[in-house]
Amino acid sequence: MKFTKLMSAAAFAVGLGATAAWADYPERPINMVIPYGAGGATDISARTIAEPLGSAVGKPLVMANVTGAGGATGSVAVQNARADGYTMLFARVGSHSVNPAMKATLPYTLDDFRFVTVYEINPVACAVSPSSGINSMEDLIAKVKEGGVTYSSSGVGSLLHIAAVMVLDEFGVENPLQQATHIPQKGGGAAATAVLNGTATFLCTNSSAVASFVANGQLKPIMVTTAQPVVGFDAPTANELGKPALNQLVGWTGIAGPAGLPDDVADKWGAWMAAATKDAGFLEKMQARGSVIELMDPAAANAFIRGQYTKFRALVDRLGMRIEG
Amino acid sequence: MSIYDSILLGLSLVANIEAFLSLFIGIIVGVIGGAIPGLSATMAVALALPFTFAMAPINGILLLLGVYKGGIFGGSIPAILIKTPGTPASSATILDGYPMAEKGEAGRALGMALWASCTADVVSNLALIIFAGWLASFALNFGPPEFFALILFSLTIIAGVSGDSLLRGALSAIAGLLLATVGLDLVYGTNRFTFGDPNLMGGLNFIAVLIGLFAMPEVIAMAWDPTGHLGKARSLGKAWVTFADYKRCFKSIIRGSLIGVFLGSIPGIGAAPSAFLSYSEARRTSKNKANFGKGEIEGVAAAEAGNNGVAGATLIPLLALGVPGDVITAIIIGAFMIHGLQPGPMMFVLNVDIIYGLFMGLIISSVLLFFVGSVAIRGFRFVADIPKRILMPAVLILCIYGVFAVNNNIFDVGVMFAMGWLGYAMLRARIPAAPFLIAFILGPLLEDNFRQSTLMSGGDFTIFLRGPITWFFWALTIVTCIAIVRGAGRARKAQKM
Repeated sequence: MKFTKLMSAAAFAVGLGATAAWADYPERPINMVIPYGAGGATDISARTIAEPLGSAVGKPLVMANVTGAGGATGSVAVQNARADGYTMLFARVGSHSVNPAMKATLPYTLDDFRFVTVYEINPVACAVSPSSGINSMEDLIAKVKEGGVTYSSSGVGSLLHIAAVMVLDEFGVENPLQQATHIPQKGGGAAATAVLNGTATFLCTNSSAVASFVANGQLKPIMVTTAQPVVGFDAPTANELGKPALNQLVGWTGIAGPAGLPDDVADKWGAWMAAATKDAGFLEKMQARGSVIELMDPAAANAFIRGQYTKFRALVDRLGMRIEG
Repeated sequence: MSIYDSILLGLSLVANIEAFLSLFIGIIVGVIGGAIPGLSATMAVALALPFTFAMAPINGILLLLGVYKGGIFGGSIPAILIKTPGTPASSATILDGYPMAEKGEAGRALGMALWASCTADVVSNLALIIFAGWLASFALNFGPPEFFALILFSLTIIAGVSGDSLLRGALSAIAGLLLATVGLDLVYGTNRFTFGDPNLMGGLNFIAVLIGLFAMPEVIAMAWDPTGHLGKARSLGKAWVTFADYKRCFKSIIRGSLIGVFLGSIPGIGAAPSAFLSYSEARRTSKNKANFGKGEIEGVAAAEAGNNGVAGATLIPLLALGVPGDVITAIIIGAFMIHGLQPGPMMFVLNVDIIYGLFMGLIISSVLLFFVGSVAIRGFRFVADIPKRILMPAVLILCIYGVFAVNNNIFDVGVMFAMGWLGYAMLRARIPAAPFLIAFILGPLLEDNFRQSTLMSGGDFTIFLRGPITWFFWALTIVTCIAIVRGAGRARKAQKM
């Protein structure tokens, strides 16, 4: 337990002394910052990949949770770190595409990071309480037009927040911000609870976050945003409902370094990730939790995140959701 | 399948050396983790989590539960011995535990803390096993308006922990409320009082505030007057807790346990408010009211019963609904997911062996906690014998280390020192720290639930009276406030005479 702390201290001390040729990278343990709390989706995903990734890297990966402000605190820690590949970040949809699109005063932008991979895609599912009498997206939209519909999220600037707005917008609700009320909660668990106990009408979140509620019959899924159906979710896909534009609304986990990360380092990460994601144990565990393993190399990862960011940013600007304060 | 079969299935999982060993190791790790200032029970559970990935599901979960329960008790050790809550839940234990240690009764206080913890643990576990389904469906009735009324009532605790001067207590609480507003606004997502510093966007770190407020003033006072304490009795003392003590406090312990069960089964509150509520209820109903805060053993018993009563009960929403009850169970739910288990009603059908295995493990954990705790008290007793001028520098270093480790962030250490000076100023001005802490914990909950309620109703305030639960807590709040005002009036009259 103390070992990891010692390791990180040792890593830091070595870092002060040495400026290595990139050919030798990595010659010491790599600090991996997880910007969300222990036991959450990002944490579990990061610790699952850390096993095969550690053996691919050949040096220990020192995992540290730096939490706060919807992933911003941990992201800033990596943004300000030296771009030598020894401090890397597990970036997530919330911290690196929704939040930058929504919050004007965020201390970082996408330009401050260089992505080396995206390895996991999480389908998004919209769900309601079975007692709500809502059985389909059509029912939901009809209810929205009547008024009084609310949706929960894990906080302002989270994936859940923009997902609900984007879905309503795609389904032709004019002015979704006025038609439905956002009731932010603190954290994803609280967001699901809010729908369970009737505080909110619906939520749209990563399928893995509601999988247990759906399996237990506590929540009813009414749509998944992927092109393919999601196992365990008895609900139509966005494509079946004629809204393929929603395919872009997915969660993801990737790895990023500070902006100045050298090409050699990024290439090495690409190779390591290619090896790590082939691990059978990793694949089995991730797929059991409903994740789609889709490995992107550094270039593809950057393009994917930019694309999603641009889409979100356009929506945010059109509806006036940008947070200036 | 009959209950008998289920129990047999559970036994087949738990009745082996690995399960016992995981539980045992978990409790030891928890007690030590809880006893180190700064390394809270939450941290200890988070650190233990990755180790459980490779274990059998039931053993991994039992290990984490052991760490949790051990940690909540372990936190009382530094709270009593060095006025530093090892974990937020044990802040209420300081109020009477530390004065007892100053009087040379540390052993008695620690003993009572252990007995109260174990009793509350048993009550809490039984509540989980017998009433899980019922309590969980009751907890689902708690929406934002109900929460608001409950938290509003809980704020009346402040009067109970203010000491002699209600005004000073209120001042302290207002400061706590103010500092709790730092960070992101829940509804608008805008920055509040961050002064452009990204480190403040996440708000002030709770552990840093806690340690700064309680431990740092002692360190500063020590540096100010290094020899002031010489000649005062410290050491563990000969007095041990007796069965007569336990009998006298039994009512408070049971009341505290039930408060813990109630607050634990409602997701989102946690152990610290429960400990304070239990403490203030014990004080309100005690014959020795005047002795509370000056080293009353019943205060220690009530506080420890209040926080350990939560430990089993937070598993009620976790197992019955799949909803984590507090920060620690949010980490433990990760262990369930890692092993592909989906907590919720279906788990009682699909994984009935694991459910019953957990129940049995929990019962065993109370017994193990008693033994590990007894040994720990004997081990940590030497801390009380260490001269303060040697002890305090060591405490300082542990606190810095612990606060940094919470979030691997050096800024938090700065927060701790700043809060330390504030705490020292408050100490000198005889302003109690406990109301500050309660307000700091409950303030954001109060605000969030208020705003969520008004969002739900579209600004209509009648939502705060929408059902029997809200009426009940409003009535309770009003009755308590009247009692406080009348009590204060009587005290003033007594002073005049």
